Amino acid sequence: MSLHDIYEQYHEQVQFLTIYIREAHPKDGWWLGGGIMGKMLKKGVPKAATDINDPKTMEERRTVAKQCEQILQYGMGTYVDEMDDAVSKAYAAKPTRLYLVGLDGRVVYAGGLGPYGFSPAALKKAIQEYLISPEVERGLELMTGD
Amino acid sequence: MPNTFHFMKKDRAWQKKYEASAPKPGDMAPDFELYDINGEKLVRLSDFRGRKPVALVFGSFT
Repeated sequence: MSLHDIYEQYHEQVQFLTIYIREAHPKDGWWLGGGIMGKMLKKGVPKAATDINDPKTMEERRTVAKQCEQILQYGMGTYVDEMDDAVSKAYAAKPTRLYLVGLDGRVVYAGGLGPYGFSPAALKKAIQEYLISPEVERGLELMTGD
Repeated sequence: MPNTFHFMKKDRAWQKKYEASAPKPGDMAPDFELYDINGEKLVRLSDFRGRKPVALVFGSFT
């Protein structure tokens, strides 16, 4: 179950936003790229980068975010958190996290903190259940006027 | 060079600090405005209210 698959299945009914945030394991920080750890990381998460320094400007951040988008190929648009990490902090999102926000602006699903709590399958289940919920049916009535 | 333990402790402290106020199911999702990877297109979460549910995928490259 990949995020790309979920996006492909639901992108007409759900808006998907990828938010690029501060690097979790940059080369100039908590680097996991060296030695045995690096090899294990490459094996377990082949698309993850292991040679990126933590971007110090928005321009650098956007450059890395572009590379990330191209490699991960989720298919969804990528937006970049500002250097103050305000959005990442508001959602306690670092290193990685999934949320589903309902039509009323309220959180429907708040995933666990990655990597261990990061579950595309749980997000998919939340989407499936939400889309058949009375709130969504009412919302669809309001939108179509039926 | 600080070691893994130093960074792990720092990350845990960050997570503990912000987890307390992170939105839970039923809470209003914090609104935000962010630009895309080209710095051109602006997205605002609240613009989708009443139109589409939104899946947020937070992450980085490493």
